[in-house]
Amino acid sequence: MIRWLGAFVVLSGAAFLLGDYHNDVYRKMLLWVTLALGYNFLFGICGQVSFSHFAFYGIGAYSVVILLFQLNAPLPLAIILGIAICVVIALVVAIPSTRLEGFYLALATLALAQLFVVLLNEGGSVTGGTGGIANYRLPAIFGMQIRGPWYTGVIVSLLLGTYFLLQKLDRSWFGRACRAVRDNPEAAAAMGINVARTKAIAFTLTSALAGVAGMVYAFVDNTVNPPIFGLENAFLLLFMVIVGGSGRHAGAIIGAALLFLLPFWLSPLVGHHHVLVFGVLMLAAILLQPKGLVGIWDRFSKSAG
Amino acid sequence: MQDFLELAVSATASGCVYGLIALAYLLMIRPTGIINFAVGEWAMVGAFGGHLLLSRYEWPYWLGMLAVLAFMAVVGWVTERIAVRPLMERGTGVLAPILALLGVLVITREIISVSFPPDPLPVPYAFELQDQKYFIIAMTALVFAGAWLFFEKTVLGRAFEAVALNRRAAALMGINLSRVTAFSFAAGATVAGLGGLLVAPNISAHYLMGVPLAIQGFTALVIGGVGRVEGALIGGLLLAFAEQLTIRYAPIPSGFAQGVPLLFLMVFLIVRPTGLLRTRA
Repeated sequence: MIRWLGAFVVLSGAAFLLGDYHNDVYRKMLLWVTLALGYNFLFGICGQVSFSHFAFYGIGAYSVVILLFQLNAPLPLAIILGIAICVVIALVVAIPSTRLEGFYLALATLALAQLFVVLLNEGGSVTGGTGGIANYRLPAIFGMQIRGPWYTGVIVSLLLGTYFLLQKLDRSWFGRACRAVRDNPEAAAAMGINVARTKAIAFTLTSALAGVAGMVYAFVDNTVNPPIFGLENAFLLLFMVIVGGSGRHAGAIIGAALLFLLPFWLSPLVGHHHVLVFGVLMLAAILLQPKGLVGIWDRFSKSAG
Repeated sequence: MQDFLELAVSATASGCVYGLIALAYLLMIRPTGIINFAVGEWAMVGAFGGHLLLSRYEWPYWLGMLAVLAFMAVVGWVTERIAVRPLMERGTGVLAPILALLGVLVITREIISVSFPPDPLPVPYAFELQDQKYFIIAMTALVFAGAWLFFEKTVLGRAFEAVALNRRAAALMGINLSRVTAFSFAAGATVAGLGGLLVAPNISAHYLMGVPLAIQGFTALVIGGVGRVEGALIGGLLLAFAEQLTIRYAPIPSGFAQGVPLLFLMVFLIVRPTGLLRTRA
């Protein structure tokens, strides 16, 4: 408990030491780490390839903004309804596609992610079309306006909450069931695990977590628009988890932080072509180091100790 | 009626392009089980090859086309060598190569976007603007007839089928698995590159053209089923007609029409995941 509290104080305290620009970069990094942790549970631990994780981030962000400012719902109701929307969409996709073997979930989620962007662009006044929705403010909570570095505290709570939940789940019977399903579905089924249900629950749960992260994101820039939630970022999320080391929470954290910060270091060298470097890193990770950066770290610390 | 005939011809032409992309997927999925999403980028590379040789250096069309297709075969073969074979030899299953090919997808697109200006670039028609549709249909018919003959009549084609049915048994029967895999990637890249080269005069060569083509081609494959070569073409045609008829007659904004293949893909995956055609026993 003290460890979690300490982590909260250190991570949120850092926001007060940073300037406006660096605070913005820092917050987005924390959000990426949150997303990568959730995606790692789905892809790394449960072994399912999905391209819709980032779309659910967008669904969460858009639904909370639309509910709050176009339908004038109160904040708690908007949050609950937003989560409910994510859960329903996730179940509609997951229940049929996890019953089949192979990559049906990957394909169905690829279509879902693309469809989401099409709907955003064509949504007219509801989604704001290509321009998205902007110029709104987080409503006051108990009469308090949470602004500036204080909002970073909200993001840190989200990150730590997600991490806490996923770690508990990973160590529970459900986490072991997920790993069993990933490694050998037939054996898992023989052990009495309902494979399709385990997959569907893992998908729905991580998608809902991505939706919650999206709700928090909606008030970081105070704008939501279609390009943010495109397929590019879904790929990036996959690359982060693979480069960092899939199946390990530490891997997701390292991969997300590294690939998020890399463009800032690389831009003087390669301009806007950092995606090329991501592609090469990802290919190199799969071919040479399937356990990712965490695997390298393990080997290093083993030989040192 | 005139109007409908025109629509039918243009739907057939775009259906042929989807069919070619679907065939490219199929050529690789059948023997290896690997879904290679980079086919869209390969189509893009074919389109840029067409721009380079035919527009910039003004080669004669047939010569330029042959050069592009030969180059695509090399691209497919090299991709297989670098990103697929090491993983297959390690026995990692099909997920690792699929992910590695996603890396290849990004790398391919970025290399093109670094090497060419970001605006849509022109690619010439084979003959005239109005003949391009018929040219696409003729070339596609040729490719599918060739693919059908290959699978039905040649020894290598039968070897392909054997590998598709049972890799282990095929290897025990003396079929060289890695040669079949290398050939399937080279052929897949060639067919995808041809698709890109044929569609490029209408939509221009652009470095972001790959992903939509990859999704449309995949939808065509899902509709037709991976079991048979004809499935790819039938799926492509059905998809194109559905798309064009919705744009023409359904009272929805044209932007939503981009959603039609995606809806098709989801519905088919959920309702009829094996495709319309049954695999031959």
